[in-house]
Parts: sequence; C-alpha cells; structure tokens
Amino acid sequence: MSAISILTLILAGLMLLVGGKAGLTAFFSAVFNFVILFITVILITGGLPPVWVAFFAGVCILAITIYMGNKDEKTANIAFKATLIVLIVMLILIIPLDHFAQIKGFANEQSEEIEAFDLLVGVNFEQLIIATTVLSTLGAIAEAAIAVASGLNELIEQRPTITLPEVFKSGKTIGFQIMGMTFNTLFFGMFGSDLALFILLYKLEAGFSYYLNSKIFVKECLAVLCSAIAVILVIWITTYLVGKKLNEKRAQIDK
Amino acid sequence: MKVNTKTWLKLALILVSCLCLYLFLRNDAFLYQQPIGKVVAVKQAAPEKTTDVYNNSDETTQQTLTLEILNGKYRGQSFKVNNTYSRSGGLDQKYHLGQQIFVNIHEHRGQKDIVISHYKRDVYLIMLSWAVVVLLYLTMQFQGIRSLLSVILNFVLFLLIVQVDVFLNLTNFFWLFAIAALLFTALSLALVIGLNKQFSVTFLAIFLGTTSALVIGCLVLYFTKSKGVHYEALDFATQSPKQLFLAATVIGLLGAVMDAATDIVSTLFEMKRSQPELTKQQLFKSGQVIGRSVMGPLVNVLLLIFFAETFAMSVLYFKTGNSIAYTFEWTMALGIVQALISGIGIVLTVPLASFLSAQFLGGK
Repeated sequence: MSAISILTLILAGLMLLVGGKAGLTAFFSAVFNFVILFITVILITGGLPPVWVAFFAGVCILAITIYMGNKDEKTANIAFKATLIVLIVMLILIIPLDHFAQIKGFANEQSEEIEAFDLLVGVNFEQLIIATTVLSTLGAIAEAAIAVASGLNELIEQRPTITLPEVFKSGKTIGFQIMGMTFNTLFFGMFGSDLALFILLYKLEAGFSYYLNSKIFVKECLAVLCSAIAVILVIWITTYLVGKKLNEKRAQIDK
Repeated sequence: MKVNTKTWLKLALILVSCLCLYLFLRNDAFLYQQPIGKVVAVKQAAPEKTTDVYNNSDETTQQTLTLEILNGKYRGQSFKVNNTYSRSGGLDQKYHLGQQIFVNIHEHRGQKDIVISHYKRDVYLIMLSWAVVVLLYLTMQFQGIRSLLSVILNFVLFLLIVQVDVFLNLTNFFWLFAIAALLFTALSLALVIGLNKQFSVTFLAIFLGTTSALVIGCLVLYFTKSKGVHYEALDFATQSPKQLFLAATVIGLLGAVMDAATDIVSTLFEMKRSQPELTKQQLFKSGQVIGRSVMGPLVNVLLLIFFAETFAMSVLYFKTGNSIAYTFEWTMALGIVQALISGIGIVLTVPLASFLSAQFLGGK
C-alpha cells in the first residue's frame, strides 16, 4: 500500500475515534473537496475557462465545508451567504490585481522543474493563477464565517434583548479573536510550503529590490495578503448579516 | 449621523494616503540600483501560431519595445529591445505602454547591450499591503493592527531561522526548524494569551499534538518506504528534499494546530472560571465537543492551501500527455501527504488539549 492510502486510513480512523459521526462527516467533507479540486484541474486542462471553473468549484467547496461541518442550519445559512459574497468580491479584486502584477505561470527560479516541458500549451496562465488564489482562501473564510455566525447566534439566544449596536460590537470582539489565529493558520500554512523557496532566495543573496519585484516572491505575498483581506471582509459581512436577520425578525414580531 | 465630518476626514485621509503612495511607487526608480526602463513605444509583429506534439495550439508574438531609462548612469537614454510573448504566458508576458521594466545593460567595446530582467511589481505588493493595514484599522482600529504584529514578528523570526540554516549548513537541519517551530508557537501564544498557566497548557497540547502527528507520519513513510511519494518533486530544493519536506510540514501544520488548541483551552478555562463546580470529566467532554466543530474546517483550510498551489504544475503535466496517476504522484502527492499529516495533528490535538486542560483545571 502506498504511504498516502495508509495516512488517509489513519486520519479517517482518528477522526471517527475523536469526533464520532461528526468526525466522519468532517473527513468526508475533506474527501469531497479533494475530488472537486481534482475535477477542477481536469476541467481546466480540458479547456474550460479557469476563472469560471474556479467560481463554480468554489461555490461547491463552500457549501460542502459549511453545511457538512455544521448542524445548525441558521448559522450555516448566514455563513454560506457571507462567504459567497466574499468569493465574488475577491474575484472582482483579484482579476485586475493579477493582471497588473503579472504573476502568472512559472518563475525563473522554477526553470529546473519546467525545463523538460514545452510551455506553449495554450492554457491561460493568468486565469489559472486567479483560480489558485481564490480557491486557496476559501477554507479560511469558511472557517471564520462559521465561527463568527455561531458565536453571535449563541449570544443572541442567551440574551434575546441584545441591541443591534451590541451585536456589532460583539461581532468585532469575536472577529478579532478569530482573526489573529486565522492569520497565523494562513501564514504558517502558506510560508511553511514556501520554506524551500525562502532558503533558495537566501542562497541567491537576493536583495531588497529582488523581494519587492520578483515574480515568485510577490506571488506568494499577494496570496497571503488576499487571504487576509478575504478574512477581514468575511468577518464584517457575517456580522452585518446576523444583525440584519435579527432586525428583520424583530420587525416581524413587532407587527 | 453625527460623526460625519470625522468619517469624511478619515476617508479623505485614506484616499490621499493611497494616492500619495501610488504616485511615489510609480516614481521610485531613483531608489533602485538596477536600471529601470519605461516603455515609451511598442511595435507589434504578426502573431505566429504554434502547435505542439500533444495538439495544444498557442500563439507567440514578437514586440519591439522602446525603453527610456529612468535611473542610473544611462538615465534619459532610449534603448530598443525585443520581447517575445505567448498567448498562454507560462514564463513570459506582454508589455504595454507606460509599464516599467528592470533591465541589465552591458557595455562591450562601446556597444550597449540591453536585456530585459524582470517586471517592476513593487507598486502592487506595497499598495495591497497598505490596503490590508487600512482595512484592519477600519474594522477594529489599532487592535486590528496589533493582530498583524504576531504575523510580522513570526515572519522576521522565520527569515532569521532561514539565515541561520544557510549559514550553518547542517546535515540534519530538520532539527533547526523543529526548534524554530517551538519558538514560533511560544511567540504567537505569548502575544495572543500572554505568559500564564493557560499558555503552558496550550503550548504542551500543541507540542504533543505536532510531535505525535509527525512521528506517525514518519513511521508510515518509513514502513511504506515512501511509496508513491517523490521528495525529488519538491520545488526549489537546495538541501536534502526529505528533511526540507518534513520541516515544511511542521511549520505548515503549526498554525492550524495552534488554532484548534487555543480554541479548546481558552474556552475550557473560561468555562471553569464561570462555573467552578465543573468536574474533570465534564471539562474533557466539553473540550471534545468544541474540538469536533473546529476539526473539519481546519483540515479543509490546509487541504485547500496545499492543493491549490499545485494547480499550474498539474495542468502543465496533464497538457503534455501525462497520465492521471503519474501527474498525481509527481505534482500533488507531496501536498496531500502534508495535508494528511497536518490533519492527523489537528485531530490528535483535540483530545490532548481537552485532557490537559481538564487535568490542570482539576475538580473532583
């Protein structure tokens, strides 16, 4: 058996052991997300426009991550709505950004890995990097949206008389706590996988000018920054949506 | 709306600062030593269609750029240079009027030779960083900027460790990064929860969770003789790829494990504070419940980060006639193993953090 299948079995076993049925559901949500990402790559290879494929894949991934990981439907609905809005906003932001910054395709530092390939393969690499950036942030925004929505909903249940400004204030407090940790998750996740790159850059004795302008470094930094923006936006929008829902409910009761 | 003037003032300040920053960055060529050329004229040749052996059609176009040098001793001089770009743009790009490009100029017997080096990207990198700072300030004032502090400090530490690694050039450099991981954890936790009892419990949970996940990962890789995993496929490897991969895995999973552990430990401490009569068993159970709800999303966060990074390479493999199994093994397998080991770490942290907090907080 290959290392991957044994590790997968161990992960599934542990999730079942620790999380029971919920753990197994969480395991399958990761498996489904993997399948969707794999299909995304195949569809892009097949010639479909990467940005659209990524958008639809993104909607599916968000739905799976949020609805399979969360039993409370009210929380899940708000989190899903908020993440969808952020997904669209991020696409609108990233499309011009990646066009102007020209970080598509491969960098000169990667020439060793790609020298065996003919790069004229007719894929739109600019759209591909947009797809990559958008998809890599989805996990983090789904997690942040669920945390804020469930935290606020619990608060409203505990104190039904809470006022709207108080909800927004609590949203800020919860959001702040989550943000620090989410930034860490993103930072370590992304820079962890770039460890080899940083060692290489250091060995090349790259100067300040190189860091600010080289394709590969700017690409990795823009990905982290875009994720940070997405997380901030999702905290904002989720808090707003919870407040709006509460307002609507109260207006109904008043009638 | 009584805060009107103040809000407008803030908004104006943000807009003006963005504009100033943009104008400065567009004209900062004097800060660089390498010559920068601005495209002042472009002449396009007719595109040429190409088809490779796998029937992928593409188009290449040659353009002749006239560059005006903005800095250094060639300042003000014009040069002509050729650039070839393809429609897909895997390793090249089309240049437009007004764009700035780093160039190398060599003088050889009075003949000046000019070569394009790379595109000037600092404008976008710094503008976006500024946007993040402004957004953080708008959402939560100075508190928000403080949450960036931990990331910035970690980044500085990260660069220092890389420097030490290159300097020492150890054979077993994995251990250097393992120690670095401990430092990262301590630093981030100290900033988020301060140096107290909660810190020690969280730290211990993270340490044990990460270590056991790594031991499990290494044992599996050892007994399967890393079947289906090619360390050589690791990008940019300049040192032993296997150790580099393990070091990257440790750092990559750290953030997620930290997230899970702090969530559980801080909630349990808070519970004990408001309800001192809670028993060990009750605390352990509550910890498991919290853990269950964060486990799934966190595994997905890492899966998406590790997988999305392989997109460009996998598409290139598929497009050049490689089979699904081969492409998977050479481009995605490493990322998947990383995600799996991280997942194991996150899951193991849940009972560990619950157990340690329950033991520590005690009760009957």
